[in-house]
Amino acid sequence: SPTGDSWGIFTFLCAALCNLPALPALNCSEELGAGQSIQQTYDLTRYLEHQLRTLAGTYLNYLGPPFNEPDFNPPRLARAERVPSATVDLDLWRGLTDNARLAANYRAYSRLLCYLRVLDSQVGTAELRHRLAHFCASLQGLVLSIGGVMSSLGYPLPAGPAGPPAPPGAPTAPNDFLKKMDDFWLLKELQTWLWRSAKDFNRLKKKVPPAVVTLRLEAREF
Amino acid sequence: DSHIQYERVGADVTMKCGSMDWDAAVTWTANGTDIDESHLNGSYLILKNVDLTQSGQYSCYEGSSWHLKYQTYLRVGTPPKEPVLMCRSNNYPKGFYCSWHLPTPTYIPNSFNISVIHGTKEMVCEKDAVPKNRCHIRYLQLFSTVKYKVTLTVTNALGKNFTTLTFDEFGIVKPDPPESVVAKPVPNNPRRLEVSWQNPSSWPDPESFPLKFFLRYRPLILDQWQHVELSDGTSHTITDAYAGKEYIIQVAAKDNDIGTWSDWSVAVHATPWTEEPKHLTTEAQITETTSTSTSSFMAPPTTKICDKGAMVGSGAVAVCWTAGLVVAAYSVLFI
Repeated sequence: SPTGDSWGIFTFLCAALCNLPALPALNCSEELGAGQSIQQTYDLTRYLEHQLRTLAGTYLNYLGPPFNEPDFNPPRLARAERVPSATVDLDLWRGLTDNARLAANYRAYSRLLCYLRVLDSQVGTAELRHRLAHFCASLQGLVLSIGGVMSSLGYPLPAGPAGPPAPPGAPTAPNDFLKKMDDFWLLKELQTWLWRSAKDFNRLKKKVPPAVVTLRLEAREF
Repeated sequence: DSHIQYERVGADVTMKCGSMDWDAAVTWTANGTDIDESHLNGSYLILKNVDLTQSGQYSCYEGSSWHLKYQTYLRVGTPPKEPVLMCRSNNYPKGFYCSWHLPTPTYIPNSFNISVIHGTKEMVCEKDAVPKNRCHIRYLQLFSTVKYKVTLTVTNALGKNFTTLTFDEFGIVKPDPPESVVAKPVPNNPRRLEVSWQNPSSWPDPESFPLKFFLRYRPLILDQWQHVELSDGTSHTITDAYAGKEYIIQVAAKDNDIGTWSDWSVAVHATPWTEEPKHLTTEAQITETTSTSTSSFMAPPTTKICDKGAMVGSGAVAVCWTAGLVVAAYSVLFI
């Protein structure tokens, strides 16, 4: 929708600027309070979801049929389970604590980012590489944003990989078709996570008090 | 003995008089009326190119004794065409419903069988008593990547047909329209109308799954709608209404993030507040001159979606930089 584009871009730019390490001693998400950060993170997920639509379309065309067919509905293979799934029992999802909810998002996007980076390194066309790189940067911003929310609420960040991709022993796809299937499921899970996150952050928005500008001074090297 | 016989429109039907020989003398009746001998071939009744009007009870009597030898109920119809199937989630995240109908009637009884497959699992779609031709499913899992495949098969005595729908959990979300839409004039404000509404009652959890709304309004005398999109709240004040003109107003709803817009709500009518009648002429003249300099039917400025969006965005940036400046100011004090 036109509304989504314009405010999504504005607020994403804000988030990106606020998280730039170049800004001395300014971590906007902390200073603005949890409420504003949650809104920011929510806006980021919407922006990413919009970006993903274009990226997925291009990537699936690159994979070729049947992956780019709208009716393509393959069974889930066991190997696809490595990609973190957003699927969850309804009552369980409702009952998640704020910490658990945020941690699930943080872990999922950290791992999805890893897999996407691997994809980026293998992909053929320059256009795709450019789009993927752009998307990875935005996704990195989302991971940081979620981390920011967790910190401002006093939750510890989940341990684990924001670093190197799949461990050396992990099985790579034995053939070209299965590799493409992996890519297909990766994009599908990413899309589903972004839809889920919008709902996760909606719930968090309601539970965390509205934006309060808190000024926190920390000793930092200038 | 009596039974029911189904035949296609346009078919040629031959009815035998039970176990009677071909050359027996019989009389056939259709709904009690004797049938002319020209339709008989011996004791067989021949109906060529049957049409719907020929449905009815056919009886065969032995010639002299008038014993009833055979009776059948002829139902003329058609095999089913491909059914029309629609699935929709108006109660997300509880589940969804599917409803169906035939594009053309068959004129004979049909039975419907619906199957819902989610990945490898077969789910049960519980049939609704009312309306008929509708069933509902409860989601067991939320945020599923696997598509749902719904197959509807329709069968009758003359044939069968089917259709399939495949969709994502998110793709079929469409709320019911907002309810209890009320529009009221605002006292002492000749250009305002206060509109309020409620979430559709079928939407189970507006807290976790908030709805956004789309309002459209126009004076009855104009064809062009004005639109406002509202990301929260269930009320809005129109501030650019034409003085004294009756307005028609409708609202639609959508999940904030997924799915499609609902149908438009029931339309409500309202007219902005106007002064006492004895002052009407002078007030009207003043209103006309202040709003436009040319024709009074020129469209008033629309509340632009982009303006609204830009406001939200720049608001966020403004807070960001304001916080930055304040912190910078404090930092300077500490250096």
